[in-house]
Amino acid sequence: MSRLNDIPIRIEPPARTGGLGGGVTAILSELANLLVEVAKGGAPTSVDLRSLPMSPQDRTELQSALGTGEVRATLDADGLSSLRETSVSGIWWIEHRNREGELIAELIEVTPVPQILQSIADDMATSARELRERITAGAPRFIEGSEHATRQ
Amino acid sequence: MQHGSDNALVGDMLRRHGVSRRAFIKFCTAAASAMALQPWMGPAMAEQLRLAPRPSVVYLSFQECTGCFESFTRSFAPTIENLIFNVISLDYDDTLMAAAGDAADTALTQAMKANFGKYVLIIDGSVPTGAGGAYCTAGGKSAVETLREAAKGAAVIICVGTCSSFGGIPFADPNPTDAWPVTAIVGDKPIINVSGCPPIPEVITGTLLQYVTTGRLPDLDEHRRPKAFFGNTIHDRCYRRPFYDEGKFAKSFDDEGARNGWCLYELGCKGPTTYNACATVKWNGGTSFPIESGHGCIGCSEPGFWDKGSLYSALSTAEWEKSGNSSPRQVLELSAGAVAVGGVIGVASAGAGRLRQYRSEHPLDVEQEEG
Repeated sequence: MSRLNDIPIRIEPPARTGGLGGGVTAILSELANLLVEVAKGGAPTSVDLRSLPMSPQDRTELQSALGTGEVRATLDADGLSSLRETSVSGIWWIEHRNREGELIAELIEVTPVPQILQSIADDMATSARELRERITAGAPRFIEGSEHATRQ
Repeated sequence: MQHGSDNALVGDMLRRHGVSRRAFIKFCTAAASAMALQPWMGPAMAEQLRLAPRPSVVYLSFQECTGCFESFTRSFAPTIENLIFNVISLDYDDTLMAAAGDAADTALTQAMKANFGKYVLIIDGSVPTGAGGAYCTAGGKSAVETLREAAKGAAVIICVGTCSSFGGIPFADPNPTDAWPVTAIVGDKPIINVSGCPPIPEVITGTLLQYVTTGRLPDLDEHRRPKAFFGNTIHDRCYRRPFYDEGKFAKSFDDEGARNGWCLYELGCKGPTTYNACATVKWNGGTSFPIESGHGCIGCSEPGFWDKGSLYSALSTAEWEKSGNSSPRQVLELSAGAVAVGGVIGVASAGAGRLRQYRSEHPLDVEQEEG
């Protein structure tokens, strides 16, 4: 055995035969299948990146294989979330962070647009009522207010 | 479904606290991820939870070290604040509550009376039955008495930690206090065991959240542990598994193999026989888990882990296998059945007899252990 100080501390990546790692290829194939289903009108779906045993190398490979697309959205709800479409249409890379900026969920969503970005009918109906109240009460005092400030 | 003391729905509470729909979907997505549920269940869970009543939760601590509670309060997703303020009504917890003495006792009695038949009872710690239960007594009442009384009105009991689930360290040989797990004392209530020494915080809060969301018991394994978290062994999901398959093992804690991050099987890792979510949910907000820090799994979420031989002997050596054949589960099942028809006083004496019988039939291996 070599002398202790001669041994570098490193995490050896699993043996590769060239090309993408087995795990990455499996995820990409699954995404391709899901994309076909969603394109045919199937329900949007997602893959939880945290539940997959991925090495940092796998992660980098997956990210570069999917690339960066045209849309990037930031959600400001109890911490910032980043939602960006990859260069593969319909594949979104989503990172949810808490108020401290820590990553609390990371997933790939296969969908025309992530559900959490869409406004829903219930909220819109409530907002319509609130908007009328603002009109009645005189609009100026609401102009500066944020959404949260007006929803007391 | 369970109703909290104020009968509020989770949705009402969220509105009152100004939590937006998107923030709540995000909370549920993170929780679903932490709970290893399918990711699309997050938004569905958010919708279900809005219409669920906030349950009253009573948290009792018996013969324990408070490590489980410390773990519980460090849950990352969902956070304990989020749970307490929005999803549950934590009506009694002697570590968190401001009240002490008679006022605390009164709070417990009131919470149990107001929500009789509906509250979630969380138990932390084993239940010592020796010396008439005198080893763990609060306000003049032994843990056995308090448990039996609190269990009467509980809709479900969640045992947090290996001590309340399987007896844990107090139950280990020679068990000087004649300690038992909750299943040995209470035989007529639905019980969920969330084992671990301590359990992963997200597994505790996740189990609670799952129950509140669905109002039902989750799918449980043979040890009454939720399959969502205890369905795989550590070994099944370990990032070092490829080295095991390649036959690359660390032989000591500072050799080349250890430094290269090879498999810790030969250094006593109990990952192959331990069911828990450490390898996927991980610890400290998903930072790492023991194997990632270079130490093998010690099997802390399995029944009788402390009596199964050296933590540093490979699983293939005889000790672990031998005691593995005498599952503590068998004696627990026996005892649960026996206690269900017995009285409180019977527990202490019958418990000692059962334990002696179990020990004589299944000698434990600690005496032979090299250290």
